[in-house]
Amino acid sequence: MRPEACAAAREALPVETTAPTPDSTVREGEMEGVLRVVGELGYRAASVRAVLEYSGGHRKQFYDHFASLEDCFQQAYATWIERLGVSLLEAAVSAPGWPAGVRAGLIRLFEFVTEQPAIARSLFVEVQVVGGEALAVREEALERLAGAVDSVRGELEPEQAPPDATAIFVVGGVEACLCDALAAGDQKRIWEALPELMHLVVGSYLGKQAAEEAFENAKELLERERAQLGGEGR
Amino acid sequence: MTELRLVTSEHEDGPFSAGTPLPHRLPPGRHGIPANLVVEHQRRRLIAALAEALAEHGYANLTTTQVSEGASVSTSTFYKHFGNLWDCALAAYVATADRLCEEIEAACAARDPRSEPLEVGVDAALTFCAAEPALAQLLSTQAPFEATAIGAARRLLISRLAGMLRRGRGPDDVAIQPPGLDERMIDATLVFVGARISSGEAEAEGLVELGPELTAILDRSRQAA
Repeated sequence: MRPEACAAAREALPVETTAPTPDSTVREGEMEGVLRVVGELGYRAASVRAVLEYSGGHRKQFYDHFASLEDCFQQAYATWIERLGVSLLEAAVSAPGWPAGVRAGLIRLFEFVTEQPAIARSLFVEVQVVGGEALAVREEALERLAGAVDSVRGELEPEQAPPDATAIFVVGGVEACLCDALAAGDQKRIWEALPELMHLVVGSYLGKQAAEEAFENAKELLERERAQLGGEGR
Repeated sequence: MTELRLVTSEHEDGPFSAGTPLPHRLPPGRHGIPANLVVEHQRRRLIAALAEALAEHGYANLTTTQVSEGASVSTSTFYKHFGNLWDCALAAYVATADRLCEEIEAACAARDPRSEPLEVGVDAALTFCAAEPALAQLLSTQAPFEATAIGAARRLLISRLAGMLRRGRGPDDVAIQPPGLDERMIDATLVFVGARISSGEAEAEGLVELGPELTAILDRSRQAA
């Protein structure tokens, strides 16, 4: 992936660097709490009480920070999706070349989903149930990632360039794949989709040969990982 | 308002046959319409009302009261038809998925032999979505935690559409492609279309105009296989 394109996208995703205060730590806990509770129970069954049971703290404190459960979810969503975006772009930039960058980004994403399934469920599935402002933030996040994926366009001859909407299409395809696994409560199966997704993304830009190569590389990577882990894990 | 012709039934030749928009309410009093048709009419109204209520309120705030009111029936009538809100949502999803597939199949069957089946199918799907944005949103939006059956219905729809995509390939296209790639492309298409409906492009007929670009993306991914 081209570092300069990703760097621009990363600048749009600033990471909070100020030192945490006791109050901001509580607020942070409430935001993580709402994502975990919504991911585990579903938004319709979630409540401020359930969030506080997870995060600790008092009801008054919660309402000092947030206007409502929905407000808490929206702020938590915006914060976490931003951090995740930064993390994916960092993984992509550190890999040599565009296909390797795409793969590194997908692997980082899948690791997050496997390690934090409840939060991932909130970020990818339940956000669509909640709707409202969070959906607009989601669109922006997808567009930024699409911008990073589309960075390879500059390396293609004009006649080889894919349609303009290709990046948002393939990023949507990755998101849909995650949603499918998370909605089924089987987040580990997303690893099986890695070769297909590599084929989809790389093939959409670089054509058949590169797609097949990306597919085989991803398959080999998974087989190596499985062999090392004795059939467990990915 | 969504046209009330969502569900195929044994009454296809009757007054509620597909393609005929139905009155929003049956006439009050002694109308002479057989009881089974009244029941069928109520069911279709409830299914149509669910899609409208979902588009207006989203899954987070969707209630049986909104659906019942939208269908002009009482809540107790709602529960005569469906065990709960999610049963109704599932019925709406399945009926809408069937209708989308029928529209695509009909367009492909009637196509000019010189035209590309993929292009015709994409055009038919986008025309349907632009005409019925509430139904398209129902198909593309992820369902809530409680409605796991809708997730299964979505996977079934993706599988059906991926099958159509495979059948739409020309006889020269003998490439062996990774299993599941067509499903990924269909999944991506649903998200792609859903996002544009949420952003309001469907109202401006922008959705139908996306046809050539979407066809090119699908074709390019397919050729890469």
